[in-house]
Amino acid sequence: MGIGATHIDHIVISSNNSGAVAQTFADNLGIEIKRKMIRPGTSAQLAFAKLQEVVLEFAGPPEVKPDEEVKAKLWGMVLAVEDIDAAVSELRAKGYTVGDPTKAVQPGAKIATVKGGTSGVPFALIQYNALPIEGASS
Amino acid sequence: MKAKRIDHIGIVVKDLDTALGTYARNFGFTVDAARGGSVAALGIKNAFMPVGESDLEFIQPLGEDGPVAQFAKERGEGTFMLSIEVDDIDAAVEHLRGLGARVGAPSNGVAFVSAKSAHGVNLQLIQRQ
Repeated sequence: MGIGATHIDHIVISSNNSGAVAQTFADNLGIEIKRKMIRPGTSAQLAFAKLQEVVLEFAGPPEVKPDEEVKAKLWGMVLAVEDIDAAVSELRAKGYTVGDPTKAVQPGAKIATVKGGTSGVPFALIQYNALPIEGASS
Repeated sequence: MKAKRIDHIGIVVKDLDTALGTYARNFGFTVDAARGGSVAALGIKNAFMPVGESDLEFIQPLGEDGPVAQFAKERGEGTFMLSIEVDDIDAAVEHLRGLGARVGAPSNGVAFVSAKSAHGVNLQLIQRQ
């Protein structure tokens, strides 16, 4: 039995200047940056592009040092699962340390971080339609 | 040029069989037996596990030389490379070179973009048939 992963939901590229890195990818690869936001809580600057089912998330610190060389690295990935509670239970039963699913920045989604046992890949799980979407009529 | 799709994400591992066993047993992924193996020219062996429309590529260095071995030496295991599908690899390479990027010559539908041209991110361009 697995975790019920349906696809790679997003891939995170971390840097010291998410706006500059996102712009380079947009200019060089013809990728459209669809959304920019500040992450609640950490104030991290985020930019998002989507290539079919996979979102590229460009993440950086709140403050950019203009004189600093822009450096980025491919960080980790988030897998979409059908049932995050079941996936978390499954992994915990196998000895993994997994955070409790919490509300994600994506509307209606819950996310949980898997700590270790992933061949060095920072790794999280996300389930969409896991929570009521605020402001949506029922 | 326009990137079409994330083809795969490359993950460097110390031991290919161990990593595949972990991802199969614990996460439920299946190796695509039709692809992968030793790639002497790159000094690696690899295997692919499909996840939706993309793949996880697991890459084990076979020696001490080359970018994969260098990554393993410096960082151990982890995410190494992003592979992006394009419609026309030759046009994509020409486009990027025109922008000043360092890009290797396409071979068998694949070209590697220097990490220095992507702020440190290893990129591969790939043209599927």
